[in-house]
Amino acid sequence: MTDLGAVLEAGQLVVGYGGAPVCGEVTAEVRAGQVLGVVGVNGAGKSTVVQTIAGRQPAISGDARILGLPVDPDSVHFRREVAAVFDDDLFFPSLSITEHLLLVARGHSLAAPGERVAAELEFFGLSTRADAIPDALSSGQRRRLLLAAGFIRPSALLILDEPEQRLDPGMRDALAGRIAAYAEGGGAVLLVTHDPRLLVRTATSALVVKDDVELVSADEGAAFIAGL
Amino acid sequence: MQASDPVTGAQAGTALAGELVTFTRRHSRAYNRTQTSVGDAFADIYTSLVALGCAAAIAVSFVGGLRDEMTRDNAMAASLVAGSPLVLPAPLLWALLTYGGLAAILAVARRLGPIAVTGAQGAWWLPLPLDRRPMVLPTFRRRLLSVGLGATLGYVPFSIVTDLAADAADHALAAATFGAASVAVLGIAALLQLGLVAPRRGRAAALLALAPLALLPGMAPAGWPLAAAVLAGVVVLVPLLRRAGQVTGTELVRGGNVSGHAASAVFFLDTNELLRSMAGTPRPAAGSRARRFYARRTRGPFAGLVRADVTAFLRLQPLLAVPLLWLAACLAVVVSDAGLPAWLQLVFLLVAGCGVASGMGTVARRTALLPELDALLPLPRAAARASRLLMPALALAAWMTLLSGALALLGAGGPLLPAMGALAGIGMGAGCLRGATRPPADWTLPPVDTPMGPVPRAQLSSLLRGLDVTVLSLLPVGIALFVGQALPVLVMVQAAVSLAAVLVVLLSGTKSASGRQ
Repeated sequence: MTDLGAVLEAGQLVVGYGGAPVCGEVTAEVRAGQVLGVVGVNGAGKSTVVQTIAGRQPAISGDARILGLPVDPDSVHFRREVAAVFDDDLFFPSLSITEHLLLVARGHSLAAPGERVAAELEFFGLSTRADAIPDALSSGQRRRLLLAAGFIRPSALLILDEPEQRLDPGMRDALAGRIAAYAEGGGAVLLVTHDPRLLVRTATSALVVKDDVELVSADEGAAFIAGL
Repeated sequence: MQASDPVTGAQAGTALAGELVTFTRRHSRAYNRTQTSVGDAFADIYTSLVALGCAAAIAVSFVGGLRDEMTRDNAMAASLVAGSPLVLPAPLLWALLTYGGLAAILAVARRLGPIAVTGAQGAWWLPLPLDRRPMVLPTFRRRLLSVGLGATLGYVPFSIVTDLAADAADHALAAATFGAASVAVLGIAALLQLGLVAPRRGRAAALLALAPLALLPGMAPAGWPLAAAVLAGVVVLVPLLRRAGQVTGTELVRGGNVSGHAASAVFFLDTNELLRSMAGTPRPAAGSRARRFYARRTRGPFAGLVRADVTAFLRLQPLLAVPLLWLAACLAVVVSDAGLPAWLQLVFLLVAGCGVASGMGTVARRTALLPELDALLPLPRAAARASRLLMPALALAAWMTLLSGALALLGAGGPLLPAMGALAGIGMGAGCLRGATRPPADWTLPPVDTPMGPVPRAQLSSLLRGLDVTVLSLLPVGIALFVGQALPVLVMVQAAVSLAAVLVVLLSGTKSASGRQ
C-alpha cells in the first residue's frame, strides 16, 4: 500500500540503455521535507537514475511512483507536481529571460506572476539582464535562468541534476539555502551533485550510485564525493 | 483551495495553453521584426518568387516537351524493352507510382512527426500542466496546408503526362484529389503517433489504407473521387485533431528534432545531412549482427578495418526494402505500355541508381563525421577508403546485376548486360563513397561571373560531388540499353569507367589537411 507521506518511491528500479543496466537496483523513498542526494563517480548512472524518475527515459524494470502514481510525464498531474532542472540549453531564441519566466509563471497560474518573476530574477542575480535574450547570456546565467524556472513554479518534487555546474561559489551558497527552504516549505528534493558542501548543507540522506546502490547519510555521501 | 469542475478546469487549461502559445509567438514575431529590415524582407520575397517562377517555367517547358513526344511517338517502339513478354497497363503503372508517392509522404511524415514541437517548445511548453493541443495544433495545421498545396501543385505535371486526353479542368480535379489524399495520409501518419496500435501493425494498416487513396486521382474526372478523398481526410482528421494533445512528449520532441535537423539540411542543400537526419536509429536486433564474424582473428590492420566496415554495414544499413522497391519501379516503368520514351525511361533508371547509391552510404556518412577514426590505424588513407568502399560496391553490383539481368530477360541489352550492370555497380559504389564523404558546400565563397550571370560554381561542384561519378558509371550501361545491345566494346568501356571511378575515389584527397597519411 502506498504511504501517503512519500512523495517519491522507487522500488527495485533498474535503469539503463538498450536493456543494459548502468548501475545496481535503486530502492529509495523521499518524503515531503526531505532532500535525497544522489552521488557517484562519472558514468556511474546518477543522471540516468533521475532521468528515469523524471520520465525522460523508460525504466528497464522496477517501479517508480510520485505521490502514489506511476511516473508519467505526459499526465497533467505529474507535470503539476514534478519540477525538473536538467542541463538542457534550450530556449526560445527571441524571448527575453523575463518572458521565459513569465511563461512558466502563467502556465502554472501563479498569482501576481510579474512580481514572482521579479523576485526570482533578483534572487538569481539576473535583474540587470532581465530583457536580454538567452543567446546574450553567459552559460552560468543561462543555468541560473533554468534554476529560476524550476523554483518559480509550485511542485511537490524538485529534481535537480548537478545544479551547481557553472555557478560561482556565492550562487552555490544561495542555491543551497534555496533548496533547504524549499524542503522546509514541504517539498521533496532529488539532488544529483558532485559538490560535497552543497550535499551536506541540504541533504537528509544520499544514494551512492554504483554497482550496488547504497543509502547513506549526507556526511558519508559527501565523503564519498571527496574520495575519502 | 477549492476543487474545480474537471470539465471547466480542462477548458481553462486549454484556454491558458492557447494564451501562452499566442504570447510566445507574439513576442517572437516582435523580436524578429526588430532583426529584419524591410529591404531584407523584400529581397527575400523577391528572390524566392523569381526562383519559384524559374522552376515553374522549367517544369512547364519539360512537361510540354515530354507530352508532345509521347503524343507523337508510337508507344512500344520507343521503349527500352521492345516486345517484352510482360506488359504493365499504363493505368496500373500510374496508380503504382501514385501509391509510391503517397507511401513516401507517409514515411517522411512519420519521420518528421508529423505532430512535433521544437526543442525550446519541448523544454518550456511541454512541462506545463496544461492541455497540449494548442501547443501542437498550429504547426500541424500549417503542415497539413503546406503538404496539401505542395502535393496538389506537384501532381499537376504528373497528371499532364499521364492523361494525354484530359483537359485543364480534369488535371485540376486530379491534382486536387491527390492533394486531399496527401492530407489524409498526413493524418494517418499522425494517428500512428498516438500509438493506439502496435507500430508494425499500424504501419501495415496504413500502407493498406493508401491503396484506395492511390486509385482516386486516376479516376478524378468523374468528380466523386475528390469528394471521397476529402471525406477520407475528414474521417481521419476530425478524431485526430481532438486527440492531438495525447501524443507523448518524447514523440513530440523526437519529431521536432528530426524536423529541425532536416530543415537545416535542406536550407544548406546538404543531402548527406538530410540523409543523416532521416536515418533513424537501427533496430535493436541489427545491433548484434555479425558479432561472431567481427570477433574472429584478423591478419593485419587492413583486414581488421575491412571486418569493422563489413560489420558496421550489416548493422547500420537500413532494410533492403527501399532498393527492392526502386528495382520494381524500374522494371514497371520499362515494361509498361504507357508510351514513355526511351530517354525518359533511362532518366528514371538513372534517378533510381543515384537514389539507391546514395542510400548505401550510411556507414561512410557516419564515419565521415569522425575522420580521426581512420587515423587511429597505421594505414594509408586510400586503404581506409578501399575498406569503406567494399560493401557499398558489392551491394550496388548485386543491385545492378539484378536490374540488368531482369532487363536482359525481358529482351533488352543482350546476354552481356548483367556483366555490364555488375561493373557499373562497382563504379556506383565509388560514387556513393565520394558523395557520402564530400565536405559541406562553403556558402561564403562568392559566385563566379559568367555570360549567363553569376554562378555559384564552387557550391555546385561540391553539391554534385559523388553524383558525377555515379552518373558517369551508369553511362555505358545506359548507352547499351539505348542501342539495344551490350556490345563487347561497351563492356570494356564500362570496365574502364568503373575502374577509373574507383581509382579516382581511392586516390582523391589522400593528403589530409595536416599532411598526415
